[in-house]
Amino acid sequence: MAAPSSGNLRPTNAPVPSDDASSQALNEALGSSLLLVRVLAVVLAAAFVFSCVFTVNPNEVAIILRFGSPVGQGSEQIKTQGLHWAFPYPIDEIVKIQIGESKVIRATSAWYAISPEDEAAGMMPQANPSLAPGVDGHVLTSDGNILHVRATLRYKIENPVAYAFRFSNVTNLLRDTLDNSIHWAAVRYSADAALYKDRVAFRDAIRQRAIELIQRHQVGVTLDTLDVEVAAPAFVKTYFDQVIAAEQDRSRKINEAQGEYDRITREAEGEAKRARDVGLGLSNQLVQAVSADAQFFQQQLVEYRKNPALLRDRLRIAAVSRVLTNAQDKFFQPGRIEELRLNLSREPETPRKREEPMR
Amino acid sequence: MLLVVFLALLFCFQVRTTEVAVVTTFGRYSRSETNAGIYLRLPLPIQKIYKFDKRLQTFERKYEQQFTRDKKSPILSVYVGWHVADPRRFLESFNGDLLKAEQTLENVVRDAKNSVIGNHDFSELISPDPTKVKFDVIEGEMKAAMAATALSAYGVSIDLVGIKELGLPEALTAKVFERMKSEREKLVKKYQGEGNAEADRIRSEAELRRKELIAQAENEAQRILGGAEQEASKHYQTLQQDPELAVFLLSLRSLEGSLKDRSTLILDERTPPFNLLKGDSTSNFPGVRLPANR
Repeated sequence: MAAPSSGNLRPTNAPVPSDDASSQALNEALGSSLLLVRVLAVVLAAAFVFSCVFTVNPNEVAIILRFGSPVGQGSEQIKTQGLHWAFPYPIDEIVKIQIGESKVIRATSAWYAISPEDEAAGMMPQANPSLAPGVDGHVLTSDGNILHVRATLRYKIENPVAYAFRFSNVTNLLRDTLDNSIHWAAVRYSADAALYKDRVAFRDAIRQRAIELIQRHQVGVTLDTLDVEVAAPAFVKTYFDQVIAAEQDRSRKINEAQGEYDRITREAEGEAKRARDVGLGLSNQLVQAVSADAQFFQQQLVEYRKNPALLRDRLRIAAVSRVLTNAQDKFFQPGRIEELRLNLSREPETPRKREEPMR
Repeated sequence: MLLVVFLALLFCFQVRTTEVAVVTTFGRYSRSETNAGIYLRLPLPIQKIYKFDKRLQTFERKYEQQFTRDKKSPILSVYVGWHVADPRRFLESFNGDLLKAEQTLENVVRDAKNSVIGNHDFSELISPDPTKVKFDVIEGEMKAAMAATALSAYGVSIDLVGIKELGLPEALTAKVFERMKSEREKLVKKYQGEGNAEADRIRSEAELRRKELIAQAENEAQRILGGAEQEASKHYQTLQQDPELAVFLLSLRSLEGSLKDRSTLILDERTPPFNLLKGDSTSNFPGVRLPANR
């Protein structure tokens, strides 16, 4: 499209209107291309900036390796949860480590051979008369016996740098450490101690050894929990059970005897107390009776000295009266008694029914 | 920019914190880089870079029968932790192949294990006395035995050695089971005997204790009664004023007391006051004088 005429004089060597139009079109094309390049540059710059940003989740930490070496010193090396910035690869490399959850290691090399399915079904291993090395794991105890032991260790990462960069396979190392701890403890405890009598101490020994080795090797983890299972070999399990039954039977017998001891001594204490009380009662009674007799004697002595015979007869008649009143049966037989039959040791009389008052 | 990247790739290489690198020039060893960082190099085919994992590697030696000094034959396996300490030697020995390195180290471990276990008695592996168990010593000796060879011959540093498994050969496990059985049977008999004996002992002790408690109480009661008698004797002094009256009064009380409950009396006319039935009120009461106005 031709430019509108301005009315000014145009130089003779000025481009022809058609050339103007094409250069203008070229300019416009260049302008729009430049704009596109600029937009692209801005987008690339934005993409670059965004590619340098990364997030660390709450259950993880990150370590930035710049040209292969951790950035920062000490705790500054650890990037915790939040937004962080790093150069793109290959300048920086971001290594993320899951630290929130406990990790689990199971050491089963000293356990009997059983598939997880059979174990889940509650099946026991076959009671073979011997153990095949490499198949049926076992430990030797201090008394030269054989047991099966396995342990489950839960741990958390304490030092992510050591955990991530010092060991090619931490899991294997921890499993080996746990196996070592199991055997280390087993050779110090008898079979009975490890199985029954000292189970807690045996488990603690495994735990202590595992902690010591982990610290010695600087694995960068802390022990959370340690579960230890100990089992007698299937072939001799019945005999171990019989020992437990015999021990329980022994305890039962001793407990029963102890119960009898307590009962007998309790009863004896009661009996002893009664004997003491009787003694005390009798002594009180004696003292009171004698005291009363003395008092009565003193009272009667004056009268007695005035007329001894009268007092004696008076008291005797009064006594006989009381005796006759209290006697249950009284037989009066005037004259000479030829024969008298009495039913002694008879049944006690039933109490007489109280008579209804007369209306 | 692209040119810069291209040149960097050609003339630089990076060593990660978990790696060591060996630089060779036309196949000949030039230098080792053991620290993490970025390093200059000449492009291929002039210089070639070999990188190895310098982290601690672990491997387990097979479960094998060993002979102790006292001719016992436990089965033992160990685990070994090692790392590349001399990258040049490691490259020359194994061409950087970790698997090949472990296969070679197995022989070193076996030799060390045989020689060390052969120098110790079985009682230093298991013992009722924990102070005699030398797990750590044996592990330390095995580590020392393999460390020198591994480093000088293969450029490998042995960092740790531990016993992973300790057991018995199959034939011996059968014998141990038989022994365990007989031991358990003995224990069963022992516990049964102990239960009965202990129970009998406790019962006898209870009977003794019962007798002792009662005897003590009876003694105590006697002592109290003795005290009471002593106390009563003071009152008996009063009776000394007229013993005849005292005896009479005590007799009367005794008579009354003995005929108190469920007594049966057989009387005739001679018994006062039944003698009144005969019309004689005084003949049986000698010395009684009735008042004159009666």
